Amino acid sequence: MKSLPFRWQLTLFIVLICGVTLSLAFAGLYLYDVQQFNTEVQRRLEKTQGVLIENLVPLLEQNPNATDLPLTLLGTDSQIIAAAVFSAENKLLARYIRPNTKETIPPPQLGTSLLTNNRSVVWTPITSPDGSRNLGKLYLKAELTSADRERFNNLLRGAAIVFLASAMLAVVAAYRVQRHLTRPIIELAEVSTAVQRDRDYGVRVQSTASGEIGSLINSFNAMLETIQSSTADLEQARVAAVESRERIFQANEQLEEANRTLEARVEDRTKLLVKASKDAEEASKAKSSFLAKMSHELRTPLNAIIGYSEILKEDAVDDGDTRTAGDLDKILNAARHLLGLINDVLDISKIEAGKMELFLETFELQKIITDVVATATPLVSKKGNTLKIDCPADIGSIHADATKLRQMLLNLLSNASKFTEAGTITVKVVRLPGDGVEMIEFSIIDSGIGMTPEQLTRLFKAFSQADSTTSSKYGGTGLGLAISLQFAQMMKGDITVTSEPGVGSTFIIRLPAKVQVKQSAVIHNTSHKLTKSPFPASASKPRLLIIDDDDEIRLVMGELLGLSGYETIEATSGQQGLDLAAKLKPDLILLDIMMPGMDGWTVLKLLQADPKLADIPVIVISAVSDTEMAQSLGAVSVLLKPVDSARLTAEIALQLNPLPRCFVLHIEDDADAREIIARMMEREGWAYQSATNGNVALRILKRGTPVAIILDLKMVGMNGFEFLDILRKNPAWVAIPVVIVSSMDITQEMGDYLTPRTTAILQKGRFTREELANLLRPAVETCALAES
Amino acid sequence: MPKILLVEDNEMNRDMLSRRLEKRGYALTIAVDGAQGVALAQSAHPDLILMDMSLPVIDGWEATKQLKADPATAGIPVIALTAHAMESDRQKAIAAGCDDFDTKPVELARLLVKIEELLKKFPPKA
Repeated sequence: MKSLPFRWQLTLFIVLICGVTLSLAFAGLYLYDVQQFNTEVQRRLEKTQGVLIENLVPLLEQNPNATDLPLTLLGTDSQIIAAAVFSAENKLLARYIRPNTKETIPPPQLGTSLLTNNRSVVWTPITSPDGSRNLGKLYLKAELTSADRERFNNLLRGAAIVFLASAMLAVVAAYRVQRHLTRPIIELAEVSTAVQRDRDYGVRVQSTASGEIGSLINSFNAMLETIQSSTADLEQARVAAVESRERIFQANEQLEEANRTLEARVEDRTKLLVKASKDAEEASKAKSSFLAKMSHELRTPLNAIIGYSEILKEDAVDDGDTRTAGDLDKILNAARHLLGLINDVLDISKIEAGKMELFLETFELQKIITDVVATATPLVSKKGNTLKIDCPADIGSIHADATKLRQMLLNLLSNASKFTEAGTITVKVVRLPGDGVEMIEFSIIDSGIGMTPEQLTRLFKAFSQADSTTSSKYGGTGLGLAISLQFAQMMKGDITVTSEPGVGSTFIIRLPAKVQVKQSAVIHNTSHKLTKSPFPASASKPRLLIIDDDDEIRLVMGELLGLSGYETIEATSGQQGLDLAAKLKPDLILLDIMMPGMDGWTVLKLLQADPKLADIPVIVISAVSDTEMAQSLGAVSVLLKPVDSARLTAEIALQLNPLPRCFVLHIEDDADAREIIARMMEREGWAYQSATNGNVALRILKRGTPVAIILDLKMVGMNGFEFLDILRKNPAWVAIPVVIVSSMDITQEMGDYLTPRTTAILQKGRFTREELANLLRPAVETCALAES
Repeated sequence: MPKILLVEDNEMNRDMLSRRLEKRGYALTIAVDGAQGVALAQSAHPDLILMDMSLPVIDGWEATKQLKADPATAGIPVIALTAHAMESDRQKAIAAGCDDFDTKPVELARLLVKIEELLKKFPPKA
């Protein structure tokens, strides 16, 4: 019903109402007709009955038991089918039954009853005309005559025709009315469906109607109007967006094109730059070798000049020729100045070429100060200055480049002497226990001419003295301070100066008590050489714990591993490393060995001893090569400092990589032997994993089960026998076929142990690759088949 | 009179140094290359050797090594004279077995102190 269109619903509804109304009217009419008809028949029967009684009363008054009553007369009455007369004593006096009918006369009763099936029965008492005497009872049974039936049927037929005609009329009227009522609603529905379907907001409902439907249509049209205008706005905006997108796209293309051009240019420039830098490097090399040669070539004649001048001067002094001796002194001074210059230029050029090297040694501070002071004393006393030494007896030693420190101190003392007359020059040495790095501070304090702030700014620049006239007045190359500063910086120290014109200057050299020249801890490779994390898409990056006391290493490795897609945690000591490992359960640990307090070996042992931490792979990163020790303690691999970043990241990825399917596990501590098996595996196209000993192999086994194991017996750390013992005790691993490949002489006892636990025992060098491959093939192929 | 072997290929240097040392009372023996220096050290038994490092035939480092390897000459103190002010040259000289070193051009006063110190440390056999 609900699925019917509204117009049919409405039509049906109207027809239904008409049908019900008509049916009720028809039923009423029918009942009334039947009533009328029955009344008429009854009346006719009563008339017949009246006539009969009129005739019967005189007869029964004469003889109450007369039987010759004229009931047969009733045969002319077409409606009477049976009649009977009973005496007052209910004795049947006479009866009439229409021929060819089966009727029985019932015992006498009182009253009249109308029977169904168009038959009426009437019981009438027969009384005397004065009503005083009961003469008997009359029974009459009548039925509708055929004429009656005909009439009745005609009546019904007429009613039916009227009913049908009215019904037809109702349908037609309903249809017409419905059309008028539903047209606007249907159009509304159609339009809204069309709008929904075609998204055409330009259509309108054309029909008009009064009342609620009319206002519905108006509202609907108004709504369409609004939608149409906002859609138009939207469309406009969309077109604008598309246009701007196109413009952006075009701009992007232009940008990309520009980028490509730029890239090409950058590439060209890079090539040029690489070449230029190579050229520069070569030029720089050539320059320093030239300088080294030149300095030699310059020194040789200078050597002669100074040497012969000295000889001549000695002779002149011996001969008492003071004038010649004085001239020779001037030549000597000029020559020595020239020598100083050459030495300084050589130093500067070496520093600039990065060729200046540090030679670190531990020496007593007292001794070097005494030494320097001894050398400088003639210089200091020349201008009537007093030299004061303030160096505690317990100052101890320093680890630094002694020659360079000596040169720096002499330079500062010589400067102080030059610019101080009849004053005091103090050399003061103090040990400064700084936070973390202990420093030694050397102060050279003079009471000389001092410097203005403006002069101070140019002080440490090469070839620049405080004043350009200084060198002519005081001598010197102007390189000394620049060189000293460079030396100090090379030793991770510095030189500072405070000065006041007319009061004096204080130069302070600060050096670490233990100068360290560190090789770069990590060899930087360009980032594309880094092996990225095997889980690039994973939301949680693999977490690596770096345990190293060296801040720089942690910093550099942290950055490097961050670039490679890892999260790093840093521990600055062994104990902190253990704590963090237990707390954060990293995926891998990078462990330094040489650490103060708890060293790396201890950390490794404790990690391996803790069942919760033993499975975390540990890569040892050490300056000392002790691969055997590291492996025997359970490290998965050892990388030497300086660490090659490409190798480091490759090693980490290897440890974290998901295991291949159907892999063969090869446990062997000898790298060459591993290589041979690796090549065989590659030739067969089989996946494999290598482990350097039983511990490492067990770690792999915990991550995934191999299809077969090739096992060496003699290994550092967990050996083959120990491994096999653990392997066969674990129900999950008991069925893995194991092939022993060893150079060991297998004794009877060993054979007895190995045979039930292994598939085959091969002697290193005494089997063909094919033999080994054939032993492993069934296991590999079964797995491969199951996988596919 | 302490006997000094001067191994030096440069004629001027040889002349100057020998003259000045002789003037101060040392007996000088001269060798002009490393091989000759080794030979003379073995034959002349000097009390001290002044060894230039850049020498023809065999250089000063090698010559010193040979001298220090020979028990007959191992006890003779050697002062390396390095023309280069290069640190590595000095280190190499010490590594080769030199007892001291001095930079050329020679500063006689300084060299004399070193010579006397070594002669005290390794007294000449009477």
